[in-house]
Amino acid sequence: MSQAPSRDLEPEGPSLGDRDLAVVGKRLPRVDAGERVTGRALYPADLVRPGVIIGAVKRATEAHARIIDIDTSRARALKGVLAVVTAADFPVIAPGTIIPFGETGADAWVSSLIAIARDKVLWRGQPVAAVAAIDAHVAEAALALIDVTYESLPVVADMRAAMAPDAPLLHPEWTPKGFDAGDPPPRNAGGRTLITRGDIATAMLEAEVFGAIATISDTAHQGYIEPMACVAEADPQGNVTLWASTQGAFPTEIQTAVLCGLPQSKLKVIPLEVGGAFGGKINVHLEPYAVRLAQITGRPVKMVMNRTETLTGGSGPAAAAEIEVRIGARRDGRITSIEGRYLLDTGGIPGTPTTLVMQASAACYQTQALRLEGMDICTNKPRTEAYRGPGGIQAAFAFEQAVDELALKLDMCPLELRRRNASVTGSTMPIGTPFPVIGLTSVIEAVAQHPCWTDPIAPGTLPRGRGFALGYWRGTSMTSAAHVTMSGDGRPMVTMGAVDISGTRTAMAQVAAEEFGLALDDVYVTTGDTKSSGYSDVSAGSRVGRTMAAAVSEACRDALAQLRRRAAEKLQAPAETLAYARGAFSARGASITLAELMRTTAGEGAIIGKGVSSKLPLGMEIGAQVADVEVDPETGQVTVLRYTAFQDVGRALNPPAVEGQIEGSVVQGLGWALTEGFDYDAQARLRNASLLDYRIPTALDVPPIEVVLLETPVPGVPYGVRGVGEMPIVPPAAVIANAIRRAIGVRLTHMPMTPERVRAALRMAGKG
Amino acid sequence: MKRVVTLDVNGETREALTDTRDTLLVLLRDRLGLTGTKEGCGNGNCGSCTVLVEGEPVCACLMLACEAEGARITTIEGVAHGNTLHPVQQALITHGGTQCGFCTPGIVLSAIALLDRDPAPSTQAIRHAIAGNLCRCTGYDKIVEAIAAVAEAKS
Repeated sequence: MSQAPSRDLEPEGPSLGDRDLAVVGKRLPRVDAGERVTGRALYPADLVRPGVIIGAVKRATEAHARIIDIDTSRARALKGVLAVVTAADFPVIAPGTIIPFGETGADAWVSSLIAIARDKVLWRGQPVAAVAAIDAHVAEAALALIDVTYESLPVVADMRAAMAPDAPLLHPEWTPKGFDAGDPPPRNAGGRTLITRGDIATAMLEAEVFGAIATISDTAHQGYIEPMACVAEADPQGNVTLWASTQGAFPTEIQTAVLCGLPQSKLKVIPLEVGGAFGGKINVHLEPYAVRLAQITGRPVKMVMNRTETLTGGSGPAAAAEIEVRIGARRDGRITSIEGRYLLDTGGIPGTPTTLVMQASAACYQTQALRLEGMDICTNKPRTEAYRGPGGIQAAFAFEQAVDELALKLDMCPLELRRRNASVTGSTMPIGTPFPVIGLTSVIEAVAQHPCWTDPIAPGTLPRGRGFALGYWRGTSMTSAAHVTMSGDGRPMVTMGAVDISGTRTAMAQVAAEEFGLALDDVYVTTGDTKSSGYSDVSAGSRVGRTMAAAVSEACRDALAQLRRRAAEKLQAPAETLAYARGAFSARGASITLAELMRTTAGEGAIIGKGVSSKLPLGMEIGAQVADVEVDPETGQVTVLRYTAFQDVGRALNPPAVEGQIEGSVVQGLGWALTEGFDYDAQARLRNASLLDYRIPTALDVPPIEVVLLETPVPGVPYGVRGVGEMPIVPPAAVIANAIRRAIGVRLTHMPMTPERVRAALRMAGKG
Repeated sequence: MKRVVTLDVNGETREALTDTRDTLLVLLRDRLGLTGTKEGCGNGNCGSCTVLVEGEPVCACLMLACEAEGARITTIEGVAHGNTLHPVQQALITHGGTQCGFCTPGIVLSAIALLDRDPAPSTQAIRHAIAGNLCRCTGYDKIVEAIAAVAEAKS
């Protein structure tokens, strides 16, 4: 029975079509902040199901070995152990098993080896078996009782060793992709991408001044504070429910279904809160084991990865990289030729893409001639996975230092050099197509006029310098779905198919409130599970804000069109003559509110508005960052004194949320720039597998990040929104390296730029 | 080996049967169902499990459950009065100081402990007080602003 609303719907927004926005673009607190500050937000590790038991993973103790035997008998015999599973309990997935995933699909073979080693282990920490037991203590004891017999194989610890002519092959069955017959691949290559334009050889010969550098970036980790966790439960009819901390409920469902040999009609994924992900929670890790153990035991199974496992092969970190860049220019500072070689360490399984890395570095500059070559190389280390703007910071660390070198050679202001070569709307992107609308020039001008650039560097007793770098990230669009139903009191209820990892519920509540002309509190937004929402891709690639805004706005308009037909009957006027504003339809002096309309027509059937976004124009992210640093030549310590981040966000749906994304992203970049790097020994053994030794920034390590938002809207995207979260992690390492160069006169070419490496660079330069 | 531990949690006397190997964190989360306290690393590096023991911030993963016998513990569940939030909680909402939310309970308790002993902390003192609480989302600025705003409102 429909009842009168407890209060009238609060009109907030203007009528549809009026772009003088009432809710979008306002500084609003997150709609889900209350449950976060009270500890009520539910992450999978918090979920308690009746009779729940604990699952745990047995991990490879060798970096490269054949699995001769896995004897689980002693573990099975332990009191309190309910099940033990190995690769034999899962279907074999062949290379090239493509599943729907993002723009091009994904190879389930990669997912399968990340989750479950078969026949061979390819890195330390790769899963080889799993147990389910009555508690965590028994589970831990059971893991120690699983006897794995290995036949050791030579370990390939880094890319140089991997490419050596006599290097052992990790995947003899693999055919490297993207190589020509006359151009044989190096050993252990996964694939190659080549981007060329113009006559690079001639352009380089004719260039008058060069900026060049070769850099190494160590592996870094996403460092989400919530370790991976999930809970699975299977009922007697074979229906499986999986509660997950994931960036995508649907991708988790299809990966888990394929890896477990389950029809998707028998698997429901319920995404719970995600305690940070940054690209690391796209692939499944524990989920297939949890599902299989739940099926075998008939009990709910909870699995939580500990931090050591997370860092040591249980999850994929970001790719280490070796990059060489050479930029040729005329004496007037006009860039004429760009050449780059990008090697990414993909870890134990081939297929880490290099395309975006190459674009990320070169896209900000116009040039006639270009040759970028990227390859991924297999080593006996964890398969790398995405990390916020994957490859962008490594690429910019090389490229933006090469540009800075060019500026020094030309004796030109580094900002002026960028101004003269900046890509503009319509200029050619590295991939050969014209740039859509971008605002790089206005970003550079904003820097030029800002005190962070015009103020002199504050004086100090130690050497200080100012660094500058540009950043670019392409992002992606993929597909998003939402639907809107109407409550009996006339309020819109939005269900999204994409997971909220960055405030999506709040932003989408703003979009729905805007579309309906209502107050934020009169809109309900939730993330659906895989059986109650429409297929949506992963929340990754800075895509969800834009594409979900498109889906939600389409769904709202669909719902309003249905409501309009009902209102037309009530008001006895043709539907197209009705005006709609602020929660009410009106015609010829009469009006009816959404509340009244639903109260009187709910019985005529549900209003369900649907919205699906796919192939939305890209929300290319462009920005620039400036830092002042102080370097202690005695200790090599680098202190960041001041940091300013400029970014063209198209339109900020919720400015504090946008600033928060940028601040957090920059600080992640500063972490990798200065302290975060995996320290492997010659046998690919990780020596810093804790958050003490793998040091992510604390509140004391970073200065306040000043954020300057610029708005060049993207045509064809609701509100002109651009991606936000990935670009800001791209420039920081280059910004800091350029600032160090200007402080102490040496180039840092290996990141993280630890005090030890700063001291080494000074010694090499004969300066200490 | 099992042992019954009696302690004061958020003003209520609680008894729980614990394994002597269990930490205070396990006691709170698994025995008492207080899952607002989070585990991020299990070895005192991330601060997600920060609770107050006799008013002092402590990583619950570093204290054995049986060591908490007779102790007065405050967890995130004991910070608000019903649905009336503590000013630190409210400020984190207002200033956008929570994103994924996983570190937030620990940050709230570290901030409360700071403001209890120093009602007017400098920005540096605030940063120092939460330096044991890793946050990977915010970059810390909006957290620091939120805590500073609470101090300002009190003075």
